[in-house]
Amino acid sequence: MRLVIAEDSTLLREGLVRLLAEEGHEVLAAVGDAAALLEQTGQHRPDLVLTDVRMPPSHTDEGLRAALEIRRRWPDTAVLVLSQYVEKRYATELIATGGGKVGYLLKDRVMEVGEFLDALERVAAGGEAFDPDVVRALISRSTHADPLARLTARERDVLEKMAQGHSNPGIGAALSISRSAVEKHINAIFDKLDLTDSAAYSRRVLAIVRYLQG
Amino acid sequence: MLFDRGELVRRATRRTTGLAIGGLSAFAELAFVLCAGALLGVRSARPVVFGAARAIAEFERRRIERFHGQGSAEDFTGWRALQYLGVRWLVGGLGAGVLLLVLLGAGTAVVMTWQMVAGTGSPSRMSWYDPITFVLFGTLLVFMTVQALIGVEGLDRRLARHFLGPTAQEVLRRRVSELTVSRAEVVEAINEERRRIERDLHDGVQQRMVALGMLLGRASRRADQAPELLEQAREEAGRVLLELREVSWRVYPIALDSDGLHTALESLAERSGVPVRLHYGLTERPLGSVEVPAYFVASEAVTNVSKHAGATRIDLSVTREGTMVVVRIEDDGTGGADPAGSGLSGLARRVAAVDGVFTVDSPPGGPTVITAELPCAS
Repeated sequence: MRLVIAEDSTLLREGLVRLLAEEGHEVLAAVGDAAALLEQTGQHRPDLVLTDVRMPPSHTDEGLRAALEIRRRWPDTAVLVLSQYVEKRYATELIATGGGKVGYLLKDRVMEVGEFLDALERVAAGGEAFDPDVVRALISRSTHADPLARLTARERDVLEKMAQGHSNPGIGAALSISRSAVEKHINAIFDKLDLTDSAAYSRRVLAIVRYLQG
Repeated sequence: MLFDRGELVRRATRRTTGLAIGGLSAFAELAFVLCAGALLGVRSARPVVFGAARAIAEFERRRIERFHGQGSAEDFTGWRALQYLGVRWLVGGLGAGVLLLVLLGAGTAVVMTWQMVAGTGSPSRMSWYDPITFVLFGTLLVFMTVQALIGVEGLDRRLARHFLGPTAQEVLRRRVSELTVSRAEVVEAINEERRRIERDLHDGVQQRMVALGMLLGRASRRADQAPELLEQAREEAGRVLLELREVSWRVYPIALDSDGLHTALESLAERSGVPVRLHYGLTERPLGSVEVPAYFVASEAVTNVSKHAGATRIDLSVTREGTMVVVRIEDDGTGGADPAGSGLSGLARRVAAVDGVFTVDSPPGGPTVITAELPCAS
C-alpha cells in the first residue's frame, strides 16, 4: 500500500520506513511534524497515514489532531495512530469519527512486527485496529460494569478481540476455537449487552467500544 | 575617595535644600493639622482629610527620598499619615529654626568682619585678641549648627520610617507573601524538572527501545539479513544503555552525594561537548542544600551553552565570597540568552528557593555570564 509516515524521532522514522519497504509497501513521505503530515497527505493522498501522537512544537497531541483532521478532510485515507501511552480520550475521539479505517496502537506494538503489519492491513481494508491495552483500559474503566460482569471469561476474551477489530475467523485463530464457537460466544455477548447483531463487523466494533466507554 | 571636595559640597547643598523645604512645609503642616483636628469631628469630611494627609505625607516621603536618600513604604494609611504630620511639623519647625539661626549667624559674621576690616564701630573697645575670640566662637557656632542640622535630618528620617515605613506586621506580611510566591515557584520548578525527565525518557530511551524491538522483529522475519540486523540491534542496545545512564545522571548525579560538588563538577566538565575550564575555590565541602542547587545551576547552564550559544569554551568557577557560595558560568558564545526562557527561569526559581540571587548577563554578541549566589549557613 501507499503510506505517509509522521514520527518526530528520526531513529524510529527511519526504522519504520525500512521495515515497511522490506514488506513491500511504498512510503511516499516520512515527516517529523503535524503540519508537514497534513501537507504531504493532501499532496499524495495515500492509502494510509501512520502517525505518532506527540510531535513538535508542543509535544502534546499534535499527531492526534492531525489524524482527526485527515479523517475529516480525506475520509478515504485510513489512519493508524501510534501512541506512547494508553489515552482513553484519544481512542474515543478516533472512534467517534466513525466509518472504520481507523486504528490506535501503542508504540510497543511495532515491536511485534507481524501483529503491527496485520493491523496496518486491517485498517487499510476498512476495518479497525485497537491495541489490546487500549481495549482493556476501555473495558476495565467501563461505566457499564454490570452487564460486563455477566460475561464469562471466554466471552470477555472474545469481546476484547472483537473490540480490537478482529474478524470472526481472526478471533477463532487467536483464541484457538472453532468459528461456530466464536459465533455462539458473540451472540451470547450481544444478548447480555443488549446489542442487536449487525452484519458489518466494523460497525459492530464501534458499537461495542462506544458502549464500553459508557 | 572619601573626601572628594566637590562631592561633599554637592551633598551638603542637597541635604540643606531638603531641610529648607522641610522647614517651610512645616508651617503648612501645622496649619493643616489644626484644621484637620477640627474637621475630624465631621464624619463626611474624613475621607477628604485623610486623602489630603496622605498627599502631604507622600510629598514629605518623596522629599526625604530625593534629598536625604532614604526610601520608605508608599502604602501607609491616611490615619498614619495624619499622625505623622501631627509630629512632623515640630521637626520641620526645628529645622526651620536652626536654618534661621544659621542665616542670623552668617549675617552677624559678615557685619562684624566688615567692622573689623573697615575699622568702623568702636575701635577703642577693640583689643588685639578680639579677632581670635571671634574666629574661635565662630568655628564653634558653625560646628554646632551643622550638628543641629544633621540631628534634625536624622529625626526627620526616623519619623518618616516610624510612621510611613512598614510596620513590623507589614514586614512579616510581606515576607509571608514572598515565601508563598517562592514556594509556588519551587513546586513549579519541580514540575518542570519532572516534565523534562519525562521528555528525556520519552524522546530518548523509549524511542530507542522501540527501534531496537523493531530491528529484532525484522531480524526474525528476514532470515537472509538476520546476522546484520542482530548486529545493529546489539549496537542499538548499547546506545539505549548509554542514553539511560545519561538520563539518570541528569535526574540526580549520584556522585554528588558520595564524592561531593567538586568531583561532580569535574565529571560534568569531562562530559561536556564544549571544553570547560573549571576553577573550584572552595576549601571545605558545602552543605547539601548548597551543593545540589550549585550543581544543577552549573549543569543546566553548561547544557544550555552546548545547545544554543555556539561557544568554543566555558569558564566555570565556584568560589566563596563571605557567606555566599558563588557559581559563575561564562561562555564566549553569541549571547542573547533569554532569562525568561524555560531553562533559565527554572534555575532562577531553584536559586530563589534557597534565598539565593540569580543573574543572567547576556548582551547580543556575548559573552554570557550566569551567576548564582547561594547563601551558606556556616
